[in-house]
Amino acid sequence: MKLLKPTWVNHNGKPIFSVDIHPDGTKFATGGQGQDSGKVVIWNMSPVLQEDDEKDENVPKMLCQMDNHLACVNCVRWSNSGMYLASGGDDKLIMVWKRATYIGPSTVFGSSGKLANVEQWRCVSILRSHSGDVMDVAWSPHDAWLASCSVDNTVVIWNAVKFPEILATLRGHSGLVKGLTWDPVGKYIASQADDRSLKVWRTLDWQLETSITKPFDECGGTTHVLRLSWSPDGHYLVSAHAMNNSGPTAQIIEREGWKTNMDFVGHRKAVTVVKFNPKIFKKKQKNGSSTKPSCPYCCCAVGSKDRSLSVWLTCLKRPLVVIHELFDKSIMDISWTLNGLGILVCSMDGSVAFLDFSQDELGDPLSEEEKSRIHQSTYGKSLAIMTEAQLSTAVIENPEMLKYQRRQQQQQLDQKSATARETGSTASVAGVVNGESLEDIRKNLLKKQVETRTADGRRRITPLCIAQLDTGDFSTAFFNSIPLSGSLAGTVLTSQSSPQLLPLDSSTPASFGTKPSTESVASARPAGDSVSKDSVNATSTPAASSPSVLTTPSKIEPMKAFDSRFTERSKATPGAPALASVTPTAVERLKEQSLVKELRPRDVLESSSDSDEKVPVTKPSSLSKRKLDLEVETVEKKKKGRPRKDSRLMPMSLSVQSPAALTAEKDAVCLSVPAPALKLPMPGPQRAFTLQVSSDPSMYIEVENEVTAVGGTKLSRLKCSREGKEWETVLTGRILTAAGSCDVVCVACEKRLLSVFSTCGRRLLPPILLPSPVSTLHCTGSYVMALTAAATLSVWDVHRQVVVVKEEPLHSILAGSDMTVSQILLTQHGIPVMNLSDGKAYCFNPSLSAWNLVSDKQDSLAQCADFRSSLPPQDAMLCSGPLAIVQGRASTSSGRQAARLFSVPHAVQREATLAYLESQVAAALTLQSSHEYRHWLLLYARYLVNEGFEYRLREICKDLLGPVHSSTGSQWESTVVGLRKRDLLKELLPVIGQNLRFQRLFTECQEQLDILRDK
Amino acid sequence: MAKVSVLNVAVLENPSPFHSPFRFEISFECNEALADDLEWKIIYVGSAESEEFDQILDSVLVGPVPAGRHMFVFQADAPNPSLIPETDAVGVTVVLITCTYHGQEFIRVGYYVNNEYPSPELRENPPLKPDFSQLQRNILASNPRVTRFHINWDNNTDRLEAIENQDPALGCGFPLSCTPVKGLGLPGCVPGLLPENSMDCI
Repeated sequence: MKLLKPTWVNHNGKPIFSVDIHPDGTKFATGGQGQDSGKVVIWNMSPVLQEDDEKDENVPKMLCQMDNHLACVNCVRWSNSGMYLASGGDDKLIMVWKRATYIGPSTVFGSSGKLANVEQWRCVSILRSHSGDVMDVAWSPHDAWLASCSVDNTVVIWNAVKFPEILATLRGHSGLVKGLTWDPVGKYIASQADDRSLKVWRTLDWQLETSITKPFDECGGTTHVLRLSWSPDGHYLVSAHAMNNSGPTAQIIEREGWKTNMDFVGHRKAVTVVKFNPKIFKKKQKNGSSTKPSCPYCCCAVGSKDRSLSVWLTCLKRPLVVIHELFDKSIMDISWTLNGLGILVCSMDGSVAFLDFSQDELGDPLSEEEKSRIHQSTYGKSLAIMTEAQLSTAVIENPEMLKYQRRQQQQQLDQKSATARETGSTASVAGVVNGESLEDIRKNLLKKQVETRTADGRRRITPLCIAQLDTGDFSTAFFNSIPLSGSLAGTVLTSQSSPQLLPLDSSTPASFGTKPSTESVASARPAGDSVSKDSVNATSTPAASSPSVLTTPSKIEPMKAFDSRFTERSKATPGAPALASVTPTAVERLKEQSLVKELRPRDVLESSSDSDEKVPVTKPSSLSKRKLDLEVETVEKKKKGRPRKDSRLMPMSLSVQSPAALTAEKDAVCLSVPAPALKLPMPGPQRAFTLQVSSDPSMYIEVENEVTAVGGTKLSRLKCSREGKEWETVLTGRILTAAGSCDVVCVACEKRLLSVFSTCGRRLLPPILLPSPVSTLHCTGSYVMALTAAATLSVWDVHRQVVVVKEEPLHSILAGSDMTVSQILLTQHGIPVMNLSDGKAYCFNPSLSAWNLVSDKQDSLAQCADFRSSLPPQDAMLCSGPLAIVQGRASTSSGRQAARLFSVPHAVQREATLAYLESQVAAALTLQSSHEYRHWLLLYARYLVNEGFEYRLREICKDLLGPVHSSTGSQWESTVVGLRKRDLLKELLPVIGQNLRFQRLFTECQEQLDILRDK
Repeated sequence: MAKVSVLNVAVLENPSPFHSPFRFEISFECNEALADDLEWKIIYVGSAESEEFDQILDSVLVGPVPAGRHMFVFQADAPNPSLIPETDAVGVTVVLITCTYHGQEFIRVGYYVNNEYPSPELRENPPLKPDFSQLQRNILASNPRVTRFHINWDNNTDRLEAIENQDPALGCGFPLSCTPVKGLGLPGCVPGLLPENSMDCI
């Protein structure tokens, strides 16, 4: 073991609170106190590793420093990909940094040369949520989440794919939370706090798995940090400061049952930080010794307030090494190199130490495959999900496909060159803005800049925008005293000439589209580079037919939007084929926009329906009716401002309970008897009630019973007001319940009579006699649904005067114990949907005359399915419609992300995803929700394409295409839920074209569609 | 974190006659679109001895400022010679460029300015009453002194917090408004007035 204290790593004597080595091992970050702010510094690793580099003046030691934190930085952590750095500090903020590409080192304006930043790291996200100092941050395996903990006693889980979205705030600690660690398999996250507890949280639902307090009961004095760590094999969690027999320890907690039987003993003061080596080791095989395979073991470093460091191997009872008096003050953080042989330790005294081990000392590290095999065998799941074999050698067989691929490349280049307009203008000296060189702009800036006078007579200058911020890939270099001479521009030009333009060249068609996204887009740098080169080239030779020249400023804006999404996508789909993520067509973009618009109403709607679900189901009584009304009203109120279309899909909460449930406790036998006894609650007669049907247009129904007595008979009055227009009518019996839609108003009276009126109050039908007293009425459009107390359901189309569903008993779906109906929905197509208390939802399919299961909240398929890689960019998965309403939010990302990380092997997951997507397509079809059908169908197809399922894809295409040569005997319908199938196929084609493997299918469909078009 | 960072200030037309206007080409970068305008000021320090002789040459609003990189030229008339003490007319003084957002100054760029007679005769025997028409102004453009202050960039959050977040050196009762700094290492420099990124005295 070698020990080194690189004195040049310091914060000018100020404490260093955190250290973290970049995954690629070339640099490391420190965080701590700066002059009068927090400070993050990125250092070069090679001077630490090699003495020659340390002495070499030309090897920079400090790469970048960021003073942006307003107060002390407590933690710095690299993402697993190494692309991002997260820092958290006393200013309650977490900043996420990303490397920006640039030409050369730059300086901060006004600083002297020696402070030059060799690398540019830009803050790309500021995460604000904590109300106190942020003490620790941690990236989940696979970088899906970022967790942070704070002295505000909470842990916040951020969606690392979509900052600054918060997925969960974990509350439960009653003291300052000072350390975090993720389970390497992604199933848990653990936090340790000053409240003398260590808590383990599940990532599936972000709930507490266990709270461990016993080993911490004796803990007294506070440490600045409590950085705990999880072993790379996932078996052990080791806490910071714990006590055993009044001696400070690091408690070992076993994953199996969270047992706390072992600890690391020996430090004289509290343990501040524990850090497991990322590698799993096995005994070094000595020549000639027995080849008996030894058990793999882990290695762990423990740092303490007593200023000493100990390194342990889980196979040894004693520490491998203990170094006393390593620092003058407490150890604050430890970081291992990725190869597991080096370790950086930082201290409150402001210095850093590096320890270098040899393999003889630690053992042979297992390879990543072996490690994931251990995960696989222990947890049935490894994080190393295999990516599809690359298709880089595929040959494009037909010109159409070639054309298509080329078009896509073209599009990409266009996109990129547009970005180049932004980045190139600054990143290269020869950059241009709107076709004008910066040099020209500078010459004329004074003349050109817009100056106005404000109302109070002051001068106001509109600054000239010279670059947009998007990818963060530009440099400050240009601005800092680089002479703007033509000769320099020239050299840049020549040095960055054409090789990058090769993809444009027809001789190399295939290479471009098949690059994995991680390479081509995940790091925006190569893209940015090639882009700027393109643009440089383009500007120098404007006559060239290069498509990358973009001279209209207006084009910059959409490109920017594209680009941000672009990077987001690439983060979400590491390893997916680039084309899948890179080529949203204009159509899709439009679609997204419309989806975003539609998203809002749905949100509102959902929140209301959610709240309905939470309302406990009450006993059937006259009260329930009033309650129902109240609920309907609250729902309505929340829906204000919602487009009218949606109001037809209004979900109604219903307090319905089968009597079986009521008697369940008394008589268990009764349960098994299939339910002739099934009875739904009936609304009791009320003196008067009011019902708001919709808020836009505002429509109320008022009912007054027993108002006018004519010769001893009592009449009931029904009053309806719609946008100020009112009508009234009278009925003979007492009105029990009412419902309305934009097209009809219906009321149920005593003696099982149901009357239906038009929006103007005209009676449409003679009263319908229901088979039993009414329980609930519901209208959507011209459809009227009546649920009777005998648990039968009927739906009529009153305009066409036909029955849609005839007295369908609910017994089949309400069978079982204490099942209740929690929500009823009637779609615009008159399809009734019942949400049950057990999370299942059924719709009645009139053509099959059967109940279909359309949603199940406990569905494990939904939990396992992971099709994020196939999602169209942005949040298009939030697709509104009856299916979305029925399924609620349960099926959105967080659960899915959790599943992605730990549930099942990849192959099973693939099947689950397919099954889930298929059921979604089928459900949307059954609900006749064309919009959702299209959404899920496209998603399904995209998933099939991404995963390479040819047969199913072919079947879909065949069905959508139909017979090309019309034959009379054909059963083929040209439309599905109102959508033209062939139009759908046209939409699918670009998706199919993204995978070269399907080029024949693509060609077939394309050709046949062409034939059809020509006919 | 500061939403606006100044990337560069280029001094245009330097050196120039005393009476010609100041011209600075300012490039800055903005992380997030700003709701309100930035206010830039050029302050000419007439005398190192007293703030009394400071002249605000001009102040200008700059906006709207979307996220991105921007530049503009800030031009302001030369200082009024009659407000400059005769003894301070020739020699080294300071010109300051400050920028405020919501009335809070977040950056101050100072340049040394040397006013001298270009002709050797006048330099040898300067007139008793300074001849401003003969004076040449030379701004030491290569050596800007930049001071950055933490301010509250958000409207909604507590103003107190911003003050709390300022560096301690400023805490000593030094107002944030554009009180000119007598400093930059000149005689009369109040120690500790140039916090954060300021350089050591030249």
